[in-house]
Amino acid sequence: KPECCCLSASTGNMDGEEFTMLDALNKVTACYRHLVIALGSTSDSQNLREELKKTRNKAQELAVANRTKLTALLKDKNISKDDRAEYERLWVLFTSSVELLEVDMKRSLEIGQDFPLKVPTRHLIQTGMTGSTTTVAARAMSVQNMKYEADANIDTVDLKELETEIAQVDQMMEEMEMKVQVAPWAVEAKQEAGAELKSTVSVGNSSVGVISICEEEPKETVEGETGLMKVFAGIIFTGVLLIAGILGYLVVNL
Amino acid sequence: MSTIINLNQSTLGGMERMIISMQDPDMGIKLRNQRLLITVIPHAMTGLDIVEWLIKKCSISDEEALHVGQLFVKYGYIYPLKEPRNLILKADDSSYRLQTPYYWMSTRWPASELDYAIYLAKKNIRKQGELIEYEKECYNALHKRINHTWDFVVMQAREQLRASKQRRKGDRIVLECQEQAYWLVNRPPPGTQDSIDHGPERRTTNTRVQLVTNGLSLKYLLKRTLTITICDGLTCLCVCARSYVKYCEQYQPHDPIMQGCLPSNPWITDDIMFWNMNSETVALPTKLRVERWSFSFMELLNDQMGRKEFLTYLEKEFSGTHTQINESIHNPYKQYCFLAPGASRWVNIDSKTMEKTLEGLKRPHRFVLDDAQMHIYFLMKKDSYPRYLKSELYKNLLARAIVPQETKKSVFPFMRRQRHSSPSPALATQTAEDDGKAKYSNSNSGTASRL
Repeated sequence: KPECCCLSASTGNMDGEEFTMLDALNKVTACYRHLVIALGSTSDSQNLREELKKTRNKAQELAVANRTKLTALLKDKNISKDDRAEYERLWVLFTSSVELLEVDMKRSLEIGQDFPLKVPTRHLIQTGMTGSTTTVAARAMSVQNMKYEADANIDTVDLKELETEIAQVDQMMEEMEMKVQVAPWAVEAKQEAGAELKSTVSVGNSSVGVISICEEEPKETVEGETGLMKVFAGIIFTGVLLIAGILGYLVVNL
Repeated sequence: MSTIINLNQSTLGGMERMIISMQDPDMGIKLRNQRLLITVIPHAMTGLDIVEWLIKKCSISDEEALHVGQLFVKYGYIYPLKEPRNLILKADDSSYRLQTPYYWMSTRWPASELDYAIYLAKKNIRKQGELIEYEKECYNALHKRINHTWDFVVMQAREQLRASKQRRKGDRIVLECQEQAYWLVNRPPPGTQDSIDHGPERRTTNTRVQLVTNGLSLKYLLKRTLTITICDGLTCLCVCARSYVKYCEQYQPHDPIMQGCLPSNPWITDDIMFWNMNSETVALPTKLRVERWSFSFMELLNDQMGRKEFLTYLEKEFSGTHTQINESIHNPYKQYCFLAPGASRWVNIDSKTMEKTLEGLKRPHRFVLDDAQMHIYFLMKKDSYPRYLKSELYKNLLARAIVPQETKKSVFPFMRRQRHSSPSPALATQTAEDDGKAKYSNSNSGTASRL
């Protein structure tokens, strides 16, 4: 992926493999957060719950893989000072990612409990989001299309699993802190302030137009029933009809 | 109108329930579509609708409904669409939208520095470096403060933007507006009112500090104990609350701020009669003071006069031993004399404590007399102290104690004692220093040493 290469180039000399794994974990964490934000709103659905479950499992797999690799690297006493500093930096990246993931898992448990899907009263918050999150989940799972195969009661069944998984992540973090002695505050980041601006173009431009709409909206008003747009469309339509009629008449007569 | 609500989970829970009923498709507010150039985003409501719904639902007045609605906007449950930075509810056709549960205010999940940094980084990317002034400052401050995870911030910001690119346009707009609204509530721009009272500012990120005891971490132990005692916790809370109420009721007449103080508060009237009457060497104590001795044994002992009275009582009732005992509570090493077998005076402690103390005396250390001291203290508290309170001595004192008269405020202002500030402490220390220097220079004329 071009973006991945760009990132590793800017971060300097190190083993590409760890970074790819970390990159993957980072991606899945970001997607997971995106999905949790949709919980409890009108974007929430059976499918979302299943997506959350799958993304979460993938994140945990990646976390364990990363942890094993990084612990092995850091325990090796024969590495150079520079390498050690680099691995500590990766370690901090890794722990931050897992912490974010843990918080999001706990929050998704809380919100999932407050907003069960199979309840007669319609209490899902109408936030304005109505699209599905399937593309985000597909990105997290690195697949083309998501397949949904869960049961109808996934919203309740999954919560119990989620609780055990949270406990597992907690335990993993405790073990990590005890086994690996890395002082996080001693790590220096490679990216300076504003480093994100040097990223690939694809991230920036397409959203610029969007945020300007969000920020300055004095011209837009909420419309209820038949609005100006409908009248406008009607005028254009009649205009087109007229032109078509005139043309037809001319063709017939010529 | 501005109010500071005590933000606890129950207040927030109430607001949340209201929000859920507000957007109920049947009984809630009528939701409209928001049209932006080409996109249409549903689920918007006007300020007027919100206020009217509140009036109907809670049967309250116009003003009250507006105020309640304001609270929802202030705490981020509803956010305005037209002027996002102006967190005010206007009862007209300005539009608002509901916030997603993830961004609801919660005492369990306060907004973290890391998240704010990620948000600012995302905004930086979107706006191509054109952040608002205060956001730039926050960004730079965060860069310094959480520098060690800055790589993560950058990576995560990029990934989150890529994830949201997967959604369709309308949803993307909503996502951005939601997040912006959340951060406007939790990190208000300078000059706007901070609606959340966070208490003293704690800018450190949540560090995981762990103590390891016998292989089990403290956190694990705490979790275990908490789950076991969760029921006990509630009864504990009741007991605590009750004893707190009892304490307040008991001490209220003695509190100069709540009840006022007789004859007059020296800090207000510059009249030090209050202090003179309550000093340690006064002949007759005030009634409040004597009453206070009946609250607890420590109250009695902490007051010099009370202690003296108690001693006199003990001397009268028993032989000298108890008097000496009482003194020894405050000077435990005196006990040593009494505990030694064959001492001129015996002390009444039980055999077990005596044995233990004697054992300890063979190899003396600092705390060898602590057991004996504890025993004697509890003896006093359980036995002698209640008897003292019932004794004639105490009752007589209580009857004789004076209740000072409140000084009458003079009708004519010029008759009242003028308030004048006491001499500045700086002057006092200066004169003392000068005196000291004079003395010192006299004694050490040769040396040039300084204090």
